[in-house]
Formats: sequence, structure tokens, C-alpha cells
Amino acid sequence: MSSLLSHEIGYSAPIEVHNHGFSPYVNNEGTSLGICGEDFVLVASDTRQSNGGYSINARRSPKAFELSNRTVIATTGCAADAKQLVEDMEQRAQYYVHKHGREMSTPAMAQVLSQLLYTRRFFPYYVFPIFAGLDAKGKGAVYNYDAIGNIECVSHYAYGSAAALLQPFLDNQINKAHQRGADTTAKPSRAQAVKLAIDAFTSATERDIYTGDWLEIFIVDSEGVHKLTRELKHD
Amino acid sequence: MDPIELRLPHTLQRPQATSNHEPITHSTEPIVTGTSVVAFKYKDGIMMAADCLGSYGRMAMFRNERRLMAVGKTTLLGMSGDISDYQHMQHTLENIMTQEYDMDDGQRLGTKSIYKCISKIMYNRRSKMNPLWNSYVIAGVDSGEKVLGYVDLIGTTYESPTIATGYGSHMAQPILRKVVEGREDEITEEEAVKIIEDCMRVLYYRDARAFNKLTRAKVTAQGVEITEPYSLETNWDFAESIVGYGA
Amino acid sequence: MTSIGTGYDLSVSTYSPDGRVFQVEYAQKAVDNSGTAIGLRVKGGVVLAVEKIKHSRLLVPHSNRRIMTAGKYIGVASAGWMSDTRHLVKRVRDEARSYNDVYKTKIPASIIAERLGMYVQAYTLYSSVRPFGVSTLLACMDRNGPQLYMVEPSGQYVGYRGCAVGKGKQVAKTEIEKLNFDNMSVREAVKEAARIIYTAHDDTKDKLFELELSWVCEESNGLHEHVPQDLYDEAVQYAERSLDEDEDEDNEMEDDEDL
Repeated sequence: MSSLLSHEIGYSAPIEVHNHGFSPYVNNEGTSLGICGEDFVLVASDTRQSNGGYSINARRSPKAFELSNRTVIATTGCAADAKQLVEDMEQRAQYYVHKHGREMSTPAMAQVLSQLLYTRRFFPYYVFPIFAGLDAKGKGAVYNYDAIGNIECVSHYAYGSAAALLQPFLDNQINKAHQRGADTTAKPSRAQAVKLAIDAFTSATERDIYTGDWLEIFIVDSEGVHKLTRELKHD
Repeated sequence: MDPIELRLPHTLQRPQATSNHEPITHSTEPIVTGTSVVAFKYKDGIMMAADCLGSYGRMAMFRNERRLMAVGKTTLLGMSGDISDYQHMQHTLENIMTQEYDMDDGQRLGTKSIYKCISKIMYNRRSKMNPLWNSYVIAGVDSGEKVLGYVDLIGTTYESPTIATGYGSHMAQPILRKVVEGREDEITEEEAVKIIEDCMRVLYYRDARAFNKLTRAKVTAQGVEITEPYSLETNWDFAESIVGYGA
Repeated sequence: MTSIGTGYDLSVSTYSPDGRVFQVEYAQKAVDNSGTAIGLRVKGGVVLAVEKIKHSRLLVPHSNRRIMTAGKYIGVASAGWMSDTRHLVKRVRDEARSYNDVYKTKIPASIIAERLGMYVQAYTLYSSVRPFGVSTLLACMDRNGPQLYMVEPSGQYVGYRGCAVGKGKQVAKTEIEKLNFDNMSVREAVKEAARIIYTAHDDTKDKLFELELSWVCEESNGLHEHVPQDLYDEAVQYAERSLDEDEDEDNEMEDDEDL
């Protein structure tokens, strides 16, 4: 009753915050990117998991996953939340197949991911996903999200500890930003995209202590999902 | 005369939330704790060790704690962190294993399943803002494959050929990365024992919450074997050469 | 049936004038129609045996078990409706678990029998429910040694050295009474249990059946488990041989009569 009243008169007692000592989040760092091509998409993540400080938890703890025959997801942020989110997505994809007898379309799945994030609006998944796949016409689509489900369809995107290093590089190479007279409509070829991803990550490892160990690249084309692995610096 | 004030651990002193303006608080800190667990893969399986100390803050309170246990016949579990939360987890696992036995379906929970199960328990509790204040190391040989995984109070999980929790992640992990990484399938049991004892000795020298009495365990395709508590030989001569902080 | 038309058999909340609750007695009938189940309590452990009547050759071997385990160390064998049995077994498991949650000690046989008895009894009190069509044998080892209890549809529970329920209970009881419980090993008890089930089995009524054998004893570390395969085979052989011998004796007697 008192709470109702205080709410109505616009007054609420000061919230007494105890020294709780427990934070449910940890940033496990690492970097992910997505690149959209004409008839393919690419996502890439390094596999290093850090503890939020200077310790490396594991050198090979993947954060990019194949969700279906035509969709992939790459995450950064809190590994525990990311795992839960990816498992939820896998389950939703599977249920859809049982219910409809076919795989969910890429835009539908992109929306499901947004919804899953938003259901936790007030206790968010501390995850920044890049979701990618082929649309109904076989064209590539890359989506990025914030932790509470804001969604955007883009030509390329980078998230994570080295995002600030990768994003301008990709803007320049893919959108031809600051290149006078360049064809800004052209999309990268598959070979170009793979090369960009590898170059981006090898450079990132030089400047970002949280990125390294191994690089996992997923490419989705009309044949399905292909996976490449490259070694990165272990230091 | 004033009544004698009995000081309880902070967690027990906190008043319960009296209105919905106050957040409901749960565990805010661990009480009786165990320090590092060290584990790594070797030729036949996984070697793990943890000392026998239960600390109450800075006090070395209990000197006979067992922090390694077998879950079923083929999975080894090591714990650091709050010991009462660990006992709760032990009880939960016991109930799960009983359920599985009663099922009588010829299936057995493998290490991967138990790992998943513990991870889910930990993540669910953190999501209720009521965590089990532990780090767990789960090891076993599951259908011929060596499994060594970690999960903590947030639900963070990772698998790695070498794992060390708590202080061990700073002091033992570098040793293990140097000696073990890339040699997981070569190291003999004899060498593995030496490596893990070296790690435990280093931890005893430098971790003020560590103890030289420890239990060691191995898990192979044949199952789990945990030693009785035993003491490590130590040599403090090097202390003479330490300079600084008034030494 | 004596009570047809009297209206006293419609509900468990009504007694008949002579002080009976007919619904409970009908539940007992459901038990009597079932394949035989027996339990033997000897010095070193308890043996459970069930004559599982198979309705079809198409059933997968060992499916629809009638002996189940609760809390690792309690054996539950039943006669009656299988669906009711599964419900009661769940109850036994829950009780075993909750006792362990509180005391971190395995629940003693007398307590689990009492708790199951109370539960079953509650279904003889209200007009909105029907009693369970099951008699349950509970077998376990506790601090007082091997224990065997039977809980009936009325909720009555009694401890036994040996007991039998189901179709062949008369034959089985007669056989059980001949046994020397004090000088019998658990392994011998397993063989006798098999023999008794085979003896109680009526080939003219039910062609197909499967013998289920389980034990709780020192050899099983106090756990309830199916008896090892070699012992099972040995027990079946022993049972079949005993039947053959009986037949021979009968034939001889007939021959004598002819003379």
C-alpha cells in the first residue's frame, strides 16, 4: 500500500543498496565480426576467453556458432549469457522445424533473437550478437544487436574488445569510406571477405590483448555453412 | 552490563528486505572457503589436486576438508570457494545420481552430462542473484575422450587442457601452460604427479590461504581414484633471500 | 457378490452395515488378478521375484518392469495395476528423497512403509477418489538388517519374513512356509524365489511370462539391483528342474495308482 502511494505522489524511499559484492556479469572479452556479400555471408570470432582481467581462461573457447543450415551467430560479452542465448536460439530453431517442417528463414530468426534479448530488458543478457545468414532470395544479410535487442541490418559489423580497431578498417575496405572515386556499391567477393577477416584479426592481435589464439571463420553460401580455422598469436 | 555482542558473519547480520523498495539480498560473500583447485590432462586421463584447508576469512579454521569427489564412477569434481555451497551441490548431485539409478534404463551419466548439469545449476542460481559461491573443475573420460571443464559462480564455462582456479590461476596456470600445453598425450602418470605436486607446493609457498596437506586424484577410463590426505615436503630456505616489506 | 444392489459399494466414504468398505475389497480383487509377486527375507538380504505375465509376444524383453528401485536401495515389487504402481513408486522415491534431504540418512524400512501406508490409506477415505489397485512389496537393508514390508490397498502395512500376492499367492505361500529362512543364503533364496514363481505359474491360464528377480543384500552393497545374469540363469534352471521332478513324481504316483 505504502509503495503504491509513494509511487503516485512521485516519491519513493531512497533505495538502500547493500554492498552486494556479487556482480552477475563478467566481460569475457574477445572480438567478433560479420561481413555481408552478394550471395554469401561471413562471421568470424577469435576463440580466446579472458576472465575480465589479465588472465586467459582458455585459448579455445568458441563464441561463434552454426545455428542452422543457413544461419550463424557470433557473440561477445559475458560467455555464460552468450551460451544461454545461443542454446535458446538453437532450441527455438529446432522447435520451429518440428512445428513447421522446414527451417526458419533468416529474417525470422533475426527477429527471434531480438525478442529473446528484449525479454530480458531489465536483467539483460550481457551479449552483443552478430547474426548472419542468407535471405529467401539467397542474398547475404548481417544483423547486429545491442544487449537488449535493438536490431540493425548492415553490410558489415564488428563487436568486442577490438571492435574499435576493426570497424574503421572494414568501413574503409568494404564501404570504401574516404576513398575518393571508389565504387561504394560493390560488395566484397568471398575471397576478399576471407582475406579481410584474417587481416583484420591478425592486426587486432597486435594491439588488443584480449584477442588472439585462434580464429574461426564461418561462411554461409547456397551450399550451407563452411568453417575455416586459422591460428592467431598466443601472447 | 551490556549484553555480549555476538558478531556473526555479515551475511547473517543483514536485515531481511522489509518493503519492496529494498532489494532482496542473498549470499554476498563466501564464509568458509577452500582455495585453488589445479587440474590438467595427461596421457591416461586427468590429474587434479586440492588442499585440505577450510579458511574462515583469514583464519585457517578446518584442516581436514575434502574438496575432490567422484560423481558416479567416471567423473571427478574439484571445488574451490564456499564449502557450505559445495555441500549443497554435493547433495543435489547425489539426488540426481539417485534419480538416474532408479531410472534403471541402462544409461549412465557421462562427464559431459554432469558438466552441463552443474553449469546449469550455477547459471540458474546466478540468474536469481543467489549464486553458489564456488568454482568447479569437472574432469572425466567420456566415450574415450578426455574432458576437463570449468564453471564458476556466474556460470562461465570453458574447457581447457590445463585449469587452475582462484590463486592457482595466477600461480599454477603459467607453470601448467609451459609444461603441459601440447604434451597432454605424452605426460606419464609419474610425471603428472610431480607436476601437480610442484604446483601445489608453489601455491603453498605463496598463497596465504593454502595448506601443505592435500588430496590428489586421477580420473582415467578405468574410473576415479582419490588419494587420502597427505603432506608435501617443503623447504623454506629460500625465504632467507626474500627482501622487502621489512624482511 | 453379496452387496450388489445394496449401494454400499459405490464409495469409499460409505461403510456397509457389517462394517466393510467394499471399494477397498474390490481394489484387493484387482491385486488378486495380477501375476504373482513374492518377497523373501533371509539373514543376509531380501529377494523379490515377480511373475510378469506378458500379453503379447511382441513386447520387448524386460520392458514394463514390475520391480523398480526407489532411492537406490529400496526395492519395490508390486501386484495390481501398473499405472497405479508407477504412481506409488514415484511417491516412495519422493519420500526417500525428502527424508534424505532432511537427515542425510537413508530412510529406514519401517518409516518408508509407514509413509506409503499413510498415503495409500488416504485414498480409502474420500468419495472423490478410488483406492489404489496395488499391493506393494518393499525390500531394503537398514540398520536393523534386511527388511520386507507389504502395503495393501487398505493402507495396511505389515513386515514379513516371506510374503506373496497375486494370482498364485496361495500356492506361493504354501511353498514359502516350507522354507527354512534362518539357514538360507541370499543366493539360495534367489533360487527358491524363482522356483516358487515357476510353481505358482499356471500354464493353462497364462502362457507367456517373464521372471523378474532382484535383491538387496551385502553382495549388492546394500543397493537394490537385478540379480546378476549368471545367478538368474542358475535360478531359472533350478526352477525348471524342480518342476520337471515334480511332474515325474506325479507321473510315478499315477503309475502306482494304475497298478
